[in-house]
Amino acid sequence: MVKVVIDGKEVEVEPGTTILEAAERLGIKIPTLCYYPGVFGEATCRVCVVEIVKSGKIVPSCAFPVSEGLVVETDNDRIRENRRLALEVILAIHKIKCQSCPRKGGYCELLELCREYGVEGIPVCAECPLHEDDCLLVKGELCLGPLTVSGCGGICMYERRVCEGCRGPVTRSDVIEEAVKLYMRYGINLDRVLAKLGKYYSSSPQYDRVVKLITGFFQGKSKEVVDS
Amino acid sequence: MRRISQIKNGRGGVKISVGMGSCGLAVGAREVYQTIEKEVELRGLEATVIPVGCMGLCYAEPLVEIHKKGLPDAIYSRVTPEIVGKILDDYLNGDVSGAFALRDRTGSAKGESEVPLLEEIDFYKHQVKWVTRNCGIVNPESIEDYIAYGGYLGLSKALELSPEEVIEEIKKSGLRGRGGAGFPTWLKWSICRKAQGEPKYVICNADEGDPGAFMNRMLAEADPHRVLEGLIIAAYAIGASYGYIFVRAEKPLMADRLEKAVNEARRYGLLGRNILDSGLNFDVEVVRSAGAFVCGEETAMLAAIEGRRAMPRQRPPYPATYGLFGKPTIINNVETLAHVATIMADGWERFAKYGTEKSKGTKVFCITGSAKRTGAVEVPIGITIRDLIFKIAGGVREGRRFKAVQIGGPSGGCLPESMLDLPIDYESLTSAGAIMGSGGLVVIDDGNCIVDVARFFTAFTMAESCGKCLPCRVGSKILYDTLTRIIEGNGSESDLEVLESVGRFMKNASLCALGQTAPNPVLSTLRYFREEYEAHIKERRCPAKVCKKLLNYVIVKDVCVGCGLCAKQCPVGAIVEDVDGKYRIDPEKCVRCGQCLITCPRGAVVKG
Repeated sequence: MVKVVIDGKEVEVEPGTTILEAAERLGIKIPTLCYYPGVFGEATCRVCVVEIVKSGKIVPSCAFPVSEGLVVETDNDRIRENRRLALEVILAIHKIKCQSCPRKGGYCELLELCREYGVEGIPVCAECPLHEDDCLLVKGELCLGPLTVSGCGGICMYERRVCEGCRGPVTRSDVIEEAVKLYMRYGINLDRVLAKLGKYYSSSPQYDRVVKLITGFFQGKSKEVVDS
Repeated sequence: MRRISQIKNGRGGVKISVGMGSCGLAVGAREVYQTIEKEVELRGLEATVIPVGCMGLCYAEPLVEIHKKGLPDAIYSRVTPEIVGKILDDYLNGDVSGAFALRDRTGSAKGESEVPLLEEIDFYKHQVKWVTRNCGIVNPESIEDYIAYGGYLGLSKALELSPEEVIEEIKKSGLRGRGGAGFPTWLKWSICRKAQGEPKYVICNADEGDPGAFMNRMLAEADPHRVLEGLIIAAYAIGASYGYIFVRAEKPLMADRLEKAVNEARRYGLLGRNILDSGLNFDVEVVRSAGAFVCGEETAMLAAIEGRRAMPRQRPPYPATYGLFGKPTIINNVETLAHVATIMADGWERFAKYGTEKSKGTKVFCITGSAKRTGAVEVPIGITIRDLIFKIAGGVREGRRFKAVQIGGPSGGCLPESMLDLPIDYESLTSAGAIMGSGGLVVIDDGNCIVDVARFFTAFTMAESCGKCLPCRVGSKILYDTLTRIIEGNGSESDLEVLESVGRFMKNASLCALGQTAPNPVLSTLRYFREEYEAHIKERRCPAKVCKKLLNYVIVKDVCVGCGLCAKQCPVGAIVEDVDGKYRIDPEKCVRCGQCLITCPRGAVVKG
C-alpha cells in the first residue's frame, strides 16, 4: 500500500492505482471527458489534469499511477487554466450540431464543463431539455436557441417559451450556418429572424458580422464566401 | 602487427580514403571512388582504396585523403572524377599544392607551405575530436579497421570490471544522455540494473528525425562499431541479454552499415554466447522504423518494436522498470553509446576534462541553413553559440546578415543575435526557450521572415503529431492556422494571445516531449521577434519581404527604361505600359511570382 496526499487529505491505496481512482476514494471529484473505465483509458482529452506539487508538472489523473509520498493538487488556478484551454481546444474542433447530436435529450458533459469553466461557443440548443419532436421550431415558432450562447440552462424552454437570445449571439460561422439550415427547414424566413435579432444582439460588438453571416447563408452562399 | 600497419598505411604504403557518408554520396563520391579505383589500376599502383565516413566537413565534400609513406597526408576537397587523375599524379610526384588541408607536415613535398594543416583551418581549430575521432579515418565496413584503431578496447576493459564498477565509471565521467533531455546515463542504468524482471533489454535509439540534425547518421555511418561497442557495454552494465538498434528507414546507409557491423561483430565473437570469455551472452537485432518522427520518443519506440502503432504512453512507469514487453529496458542515443565506448577505452578523467560543471564532455552539433560552412562539429559543451556559428561555421553566407538560429530542431527555439553569447548546455538553452535536443543548429539569415520560419516548424510537428492527446493534435493545428492567418495578412491582435495561450497549454499538458516542445518555435520567436509579428498584424507588412500576400512588386519609374521584358515575362499580364512609355504593375492582377524581379535587366522592379 502507498500513501498519497490529495488536496491535503491523506489516503492509502494499492500501488498502481491512478490519481483519479485515489481521489474518488477520498470523495474528491475530478472532471473527466474521455475517461471510460474498462473501455477507454488513453488519457487523450486532458480535462482531468492535476498538478504534482513537487515537480509542478501537470499530468492527466486518469493515467498517472500514484507512488509513495505523492502530493497532488486537483484544483488551483493553473489547473483551471489548463482545463479551460483544453475545453476551448476541444470546442475548436467539435462539430457543434446539437440538433442532430446522438446525445440530444440526454446529458451533455461537454456543455456542463464549458459552463463550469466559462468557455462559450455552444448554442442554447444543447441546453434544451426537450426531445427533437418537441422542438419549438417544428411548430413554426421562431426560437433563437440555435444562434444564442448557452449557459442559462434553457429556462425559457422549460416554460415552453422560445429563446429570446438574451445572452447574445454565437459567433462561430459553422454554428450559424447550421442554425440557418434549421430555420430554412422549418420555413422561417430571413426577415423574421433579423427582426428578432435586433432585440438583444444589437448590443454585441459582433452584431454586424453575425447579421452578414446569417444573410449570406440564407442566400445560399458558402461559408468561405460569407466569411471573407 | 603487420596487419595493423597495412590497415593504417595501406597496401604498398599508399592509402586513399574517399568520404562516402550520405553527404559525400549526395555530391558524387561514388563516381569519384570508382574513378580512383580505375586510375589506380591504370597506373599499376599498389594501393588500398577505402570508403570512409563523413569527417564533418560536409560543405567541402566529396573529400579524398591520400596517404603515402614519406609524404604528408593530404586531403582534397570538392573532388570530381575529372580531376582525380591529376590529383593522383601530382601527389605521387610529391606536389601537394592543390590540397585542401594536410594532416601532418614532412617538409618533403612541393607546395607544402601553401596548404594549411587540418587543425589550423577555422572549421577544425576549435573542435575536440573525441567521439568522432575515427570519422573519416576508418573504413566503416571493416571491423579489422576499427580494431586496428583501438576498437573494442573499451569493451574488454569493461568486461574486466564488475557491472557496478562500469556504472561507477560512467557516473564519474558525468555523461548525460545526448538524445536531448540530458538525463544522467549512469542513473538510468543503475535504476534498470536494480529493477526486477528478466530478460532485460537495451535499445540504441538511432531514429534521428530532426530536420537539420545528422550527427547520429554521421557517427553510425562513419564508425558503426563504436556505437555497437557502447551498446554491448551497456548490456553488460545492466545485465541485458538482448538488444535492438532502432534505425530510421529513411537513412538506409546508416541502417546498412549498422547491420553489417552487427554481423561482423557476431562473426568475431563480440556478440553471441560468452563474449570474450566473460560469460556475457548478448545479441543485437537492427530494426528499421517506418519513419514516423514520434518513434524517437522512447515509449512510442517500444510500441513500434513490439509491433503496435507508435504512440507514446504516460510515464511513469518508466522504461527502466517497465519497458519493452513489460521488461526493464534502457534506451540510449547513438551518440551516448559512442561516448560510453570511448570513455571506457580512454578513462573518465579525459572525458570529464571537457565541458561545464553540470554538463561534461563533448557534443556533436550540426550546423545547417545559411551558414557559410555547414557540417558536423564536435566541441566541448559550454561553447558559446557565437563561437560555433561565427568562428567555426564562418558566419552567414555572403551578402546576408545573421538574424536568428534555431537550436534543437523543430521542437527547439529560435534565438536572436542578443542571445549568441549563451553557452550551449542543457540548462541555459532551456531557460532561453530553446532545447539542446539532438544538437541541430539551423542558421537563419535576414532574408527569412520569422513568422514564416515558425510556421514551417509548426507544420512539421503538426504533420508528425501522433494524434493521441488533444493539446498536440489540435493545438498544433490551431497554431498553424493562426500563423497562416497572420502570414496572409488576416491576423488580428488577439491572435498573439491565442498563440501564447495555446502554446502554453501544449507545453503543460501534452503527453510526450513532442507535444511539449512543439510550440517552442512559436513561443521563442514571439518572445524575441514580437515586433515582426506585430508588423504583420498591425501594418499588414512583412519586414523581411517574404510573405506573398503582404508584398507588392513595384517598378521604379526613374530606373525603368521601358524595354518591356517584364511585361513579356509576366504570366498573368499584370504589367502594362504607361503613357510615358515606362511600365507599371497592376497589384490587383499580380500573383507575386517574382518573375519580373528576376527578368528586369536594370533592377527597376523592387519589393515594396
